[in-house]
Amino acid sequence: MTGPWAEALPWVIALPLVGAALTPAVAVRRPRAAGFWAWGVLLVTAVLAAGLVSELLARGPFSYELGGWPAAYGIELRFDHFSAWVLPLALLFVVIVPFSWRYLDHVMPDERRPPFYALLLLNAGGMIGFCVTGDLFNLFVFTEVVSLSSYALVAVGGRGLAAFAALKYLFIGAVSSLLMLFATAQLFVLTGSLNMAEVSLRLAEVGGGTAVMVAFAAYAVSFMVKAAMFPVHVWLPDAHAIAPSPVSAVLSGMVVKVGIVGMLRVYQIYYGAEVLELGAFNLALVWLGAVSIVMGAFFAIFQDDIKLMLAYSTISNIGYIVLGLGLASPYAVIGASVHVFNHALIKATLFLAAGSIIHQTGFRTLSDLRGVARAMPQTSAAMAIGAVSIVGLPPTAGFVCKWYIALGAFEANQAPFGFALVFGALFIFIYYIRMLNAFYFQKPVHAAVAQASETPWSMRGPVVLLASLCLILGVLGGIPLTFVEPAVLDLLPLWGP
Amino acid sequence: MTPDVALVGGPVAVSSWWPGVAVALPLVGVAAVSAGCLTDRWRVVALVVPAVAALAVALVLVGDVLAGRLPELFVLRMTPTLWMVLRVDAPGALYGATVAALGLLALVYSFGYVHRGPRWSRYFGFLMASLACTLGVAYAGNLLTFLIFYEAFSVLTYALVVHEQTPAAIRAGAKYIAYILVGGSLVLAGILLTYFLAGDLTFVAGGFLAADASHGQLLTAFWCFVAGFGVKAALVPLHGWVPDAHPAAPAPFSAVLSGVMVAAGAFGIMRVAFDVFGVTLVGALGVAPWLTAIAAVTVLVGALLALGQEDLKRRLAYSTISQMGYLTLAVSLLGAGVTAGALVHLVHHAFLKGTLFFCAGLWIHAGGVRRVGELRGMGARMPLTAAAFTLAALGMIGVPPLSGFVSKWWLGVGMLEVDAGIALAVLLAGALLAAGYLLPVVYAMYFAPSGTVAVRAGREAPATLLAPTLAAAALTIVFGLGSHYAGFPLQLAQVATAAWFGGG
Repeated sequence: MTGPWAEALPWVIALPLVGAALTPAVAVRRPRAAGFWAWGVLLVTAVLAAGLVSELLARGPFSYELGGWPAAYGIELRFDHFSAWVLPLALLFVVIVPFSWRYLDHVMPDERRPPFYALLLLNAGGMIGFCVTGDLFNLFVFTEVVSLSSYALVAVGGRGLAAFAALKYLFIGAVSSLLMLFATAQLFVLTGSLNMAEVSLRLAEVGGGTAVMVAFAAYAVSFMVKAAMFPVHVWLPDAHAIAPSPVSAVLSGMVVKVGIVGMLRVYQIYYGAEVLELGAFNLALVWLGAVSIVMGAFFAIFQDDIKLMLAYSTISNIGYIVLGLGLASPYAVIGASVHVFNHALIKATLFLAAGSIIHQTGFRTLSDLRGVARAMPQTSAAMAIGAVSIVGLPPTAGFVCKWYIALGAFEANQAPFGFALVFGALFIFIYYIRMLNAFYFQKPVHAAVAQASETPWSMRGPVVLLASLCLILGVLGGIPLTFVEPAVLDLLPLWGP
Repeated sequence: MTPDVALVGGPVAVSSWWPGVAVALPLVGVAAVSAGCLTDRWRVVALVVPAVAALAVALVLVGDVLAGRLPELFVLRMTPTLWMVLRVDAPGALYGATVAALGLLALVYSFGYVHRGPRWSRYFGFLMASLACTLGVAYAGNLLTFLIFYEAFSVLTYALVVHEQTPAAIRAGAKYIAYILVGGSLVLAGILLTYFLAGDLTFVAGGFLAADASHGQLLTAFWCFVAGFGVKAALVPLHGWVPDAHPAAPAPFSAVLSGVMVAAGAFGIMRVAFDVFGVTLVGALGVAPWLTAIAAVTVLVGALLALGQEDLKRRLAYSTISQMGYLTLAVSLLGAGVTAGALVHLVHHAFLKGTLFFCAGLWIHAGGVRRVGELRGMGARMPLTAAAFTLAALGMIGVPPLSGFVSKWWLGVGMLEVDAGIALAVLLAGALLAAGYLLPVVYAMYFAPSGTVAVRAGREAPATLLAPTLAAAALTIVFGLGSHYAGFPLQLAQVATAAWFGGG
């Protein structure tokens, strides 16, 4: 049945995790080699992920039974259309790591590089595992791998504020993980299984009830915290702004999506079982999403620190995604799922460009960075493209999701949210306009800004590449749809194809 | 009025690279100014050659359309169901050729007007990029493609509005971008609704929205479109950005902004009315009288406000509001003749207003003269400029045999065809008011005593500035006298209305 690439499924998780463990050993003589090692490991991981995706396209979703134990007893790894997210994820890491080589010079002494890259590989491995596991307890374990490595990556910058932000992140993250563990245990008690497909089948036998609902609610809250939805977002801005820029790109672009992918997995279980009427919950998600969009934009307007602005903009964008999930119509969920990837790309562009500017000038606020565009034209252009993309002007990557989610709102008979989405984007544009105005049309106030030079190619290359992808994926928006559409139509059987 | 061209079976779509080439050519100029390796002289060449070539291609496309072909190019498949597609029909070819021609004149003029310095390449890069996108608007074959280019040129021109980087320019830019983005979002909302209702976005002469769709949703979509495009078309009360953006921008860009970019809004309204909804459906929705009222108010309020402006470029900006109101007015009357007149007016106005802004720029260039009062005695000191201005002013008022007369004649005749007496009165009142705000300028130049005003500008500008100004002024006469020739705007407009109104 399955082709040769199916055998690569466990390796795509194991490779980064083993690579992480080996990093200190590899870099024992030359700490700087850790960066190249991590890049090599991720490159191979990306190749494996590409193989898995090609298998998916050729033969549809497939499973791997770890150790040969059948699914009900052993651990099942399952590669479905939502798992295809591991490929862009691995590729983004492959682009971000070279950026970090030179960037870290100013952030940490050389001897701290091996643990840094080990953490980064752990983080990648955890996210990949999260996407491909078919087992609920594994899902929890991988969440913890991602979360713990993220806390450490925030603190790695080393200053006092970083430790504080990491601690705040850890406390809130721990509560969320606890809720997830609780929900997992609850489902295990109810169904006697941890395999997602099994759980879904047996839930249908168990039927509805308070316990089933509590488990769902615990999962939902837990994943909303991980995704930094509006009322539970407080950990995000500081953590993402203070972390070194490559880490910010990883955290803002990908780690928060753990919450979204987790939510999709929970939907797969519950929609399949048809035990809960999720209409009210979805409506709550729609409202929370809309509020997130507005509040994220509202907070961002008052920031002077460019990385803080970008961090708040993540909250807005998670709002888009959650709004789309809550609308629960095919177009909306397709749009939301595509934005999981497109936002990762755009936010990586923005954080890396912002990091370049901070790296070259030493300043990080809008008022200090006036006129930087003349000194760093390519990086600023990338920043501008990222800004236009995230606002969702056609034909950029951000437009695709806006288009689909708004269409989905009409489809779900919730036209006001469609209009709210279109005009909410304007609100977001306000602070990007401020940024572009400061960069392009105001006179420099610092000599260091006026005389800054462009970044070295190892940093500029990734930024330019990501920015061009923001445009390319806008005009070729169909590519991610190939993966997302079957998955979503599968997820929402009631709507029909 | 009956169309001179009889099309048997309508135009035939043919696959062609030319629309894509036309849009891509100005981008060559962008690449050339961005590249650091060229000397200044070669940069000028690399800007002028693609602009001339784009104009040539635009004229070839006009020929194609007149030969009964419909050149189309499927560029990209953006989503499984939506293509980015360029398709050149008669109104598109007409508007595209106008964009390319006025763009070329403005480009040449800019070489003399924009100072050498670090902002030089930024200005030309953004000018060429926005011209490329405006051509894309002209040749767009569906609403999505239209929106892509429309939003792109709207955002790109922000850099040109704030080019001078004075506090006033930054303020005008902020106002501009706020208005334009709200407008763009309204258009997007309309497009989303249209796609939801029809499942398609491809322009079809006669419309593709079904009349049996929900009345409320059709109305919502229509007003979203009108309000969205109305921001750009400067419909009162959505016109607030126009009088601030024009004086702040460099003169050649003001000319383009007024001549073709404000017209893009009116062009969008035409597309929506005739290629998305269709004449029948617009009539059935009962929105036309409301649109007529808005347009009439726009014509009159714009002209009345122009009377009181002392800043010349500001006065011209208000004049644009008034003149572009004619286009929406014509659309709202849903008559073949009056719509043909509107298309002709779009072209003629572009070159008239271009000339006027070019002249205003010459006076600013020569000595910072911005106010009407400072123009006293200018007729003697800068005779060629004054003559060009006078010619265009007379054209704008509608004095025969200049181009403005021709377009207003067809507009007026078309209005009588559909028994729109009030609209005709508005048209005539607008022309009278145009005399009221333009003739005092002419009077000041030639007849007012210059005694108390310090002489700040005394010599004619260099040829790079003067030549495009005079060329645009000459077109006023050419279009006026040659309006009935084949290939001139009137013929294309009649082809367009034949398709829209089913043979007139």
